[in-house]
Amino acid sequence: MASLPALQSQIYRTLPALERADTIAQRISTAISLGMLREGERLPAESELSEMFGVAGATLRDALASLREQGIVETRRGRNGGTFVVKAPPAARDLMQRYLAETSIAELRDLGDEHAAVTAATVRLACDRADPQALDRLEQLARAQARAETPEARARADSRFHIELAVAAQSPRLVATEIRLQGEISQILWTPLAGVFDLETAAAEHLQLAQAIRRDEPDTAQRLALEHIRRNIYHLIDTKLSLSYSDRTQETL
Amino acid sequence: MSPQDLTAKAADSITGWLNDLYRDLGTMSGEVGLLLEAALGDRTKISKRDLAGLREKSTKFLNSHSDVVGAGVIFSISSIQDAEGVLEWWFKNDDNAIEKLDFDLAPEGNSFYDYEQLPWFSIAARTGQQTIAGPYVDYLGFNEYIMTCTVPSYVRGNFIGVTGCDLRVRDLEQVFIPMIRSVPGDAAILNGNENRVVLGNSGRFLVGERIKNRPEGYSLVPLEVPYLNLSLLCSSRPG
Repeated sequence: MASLPALQSQIYRTLPALERADTIAQRISTAISLGMLREGERLPAESELSEMFGVAGATLRDALASLREQGIVETRRGRNGGTFVVKAPPAARDLMQRYLAETSIAELRDLGDEHAAVTAATVRLACDRADPQALDRLEQLARAQARAETPEARARADSRFHIELAVAAQSPRLVATEIRLQGEISQILWTPLAGVFDLETAAAEHLQLAQAIRRDEPDTAQRLALEHIRRNIYHLIDTKLSLSYSDRTQETL
Repeated sequence: MSPQDLTAKAADSITGWLNDLYRDLGTMSGEVGLLLEAALGDRTKISKRDLAGLREKSTKFLNSHSDVVGAGVIFSISSIQDAEGVLEWWFKNDDNAIEKLDFDLAPEGNSFYDYEQLPWFSIAARTGQQTIAGPYVDYLGFNEYIMTCTVPSYVRGNFIGVTGCDLRVRDLEQVFIPMIRSVPGDAAILNGNENRVVLGNSGRFLVGERIKNRPEGYSLVPLEVPYLNLSLLCSSRPG
């Protein structure tokens, strides 16, 4: 029992207001880049938002101010006023570059570990539970992904496929987890930084995965999913290294 | 009571509950048809101004069915004027107040709710009969684990869409568990359209699982709710 108090104080430590504001801003901007909130859409009223997030009005206003500063939302006064989404967060090379510089290889690998654990379970459940219609939709999404043109469209198509896998697995919790993970992974994966991520391979891997689920081959589906995610994470780590350690030649550029 | 009698009694309770629900959906669908017929006059395509009375109908349905979480009318693209789709759908929020549900209907958008492809719409449209879908995670719609019950709706004999309601899987449990608990042995309600377990009376059959091959020693007792293709999967020789 000796270690409990220390552990518990770690669990129950209060979030600093600033951290909460950042988290809220991050969550809204992720939702926009994933296309869950669209340009022109009005956010709920400030009072509703602070109630939903469970934060004080001041914290919420800090979060909105930070989004306004980034030019992502705009607040208009008067009748039909409110806070509106005005542009998608920049699939900003700068932002992504900074993220990769600040994130260690161990943290990137760990992100991959979590995604692998979640996806392995998701595809096994999908083998049991997906109906033909869900499988048709997965294949359609994989095929549509191969035609996505911009980095933003590619990121959205990629994350949509992974989220729909969790929908096919019939698990609301896995859907929520996958949405959160996609918020962390998809944009950085598809922003061209050092070499463009290969769209055809990714889409082909998705298609193979959907087909393995249709054949009800959980072992194959799991292996394909793990290889797919490992390749994603290798790409992130490679990108990080070629951006931060310029002594290596960057053939891919 | 014999095991067969217990099973038959459970089947009757479930069937009775669902038949009542679909009777009320049918009534609402008929009222919606008449309301739209009056609003349309000589026009054939439905537009925004024709939808005024639908909120009241949905509210009435939600308020009179405590286990229902969402209800409304969803229009076929071919029946409407100038729109990418119309979903007049209301739901009970956490405070039990009734709110309209918003959907993304821009086909080019990433979160496009392509509802004409979804089974609760497409089956009712194709067969002209009532149907049931799920359990499913209604991603981009209500975003919860639900079942959707629909009946086709008509104006002057033309199909205009479906009238329906959503039931949370967790609320359905409350309704059906007391009915199915008395079935001897392991048993489950199956949605035959998807071969999917709606609810089991034990841990043997879990909600959402697909029964691809009927397990040995089990048989299917059809639930007599027309066109829903529901049945009770139960042990052939319980005990």
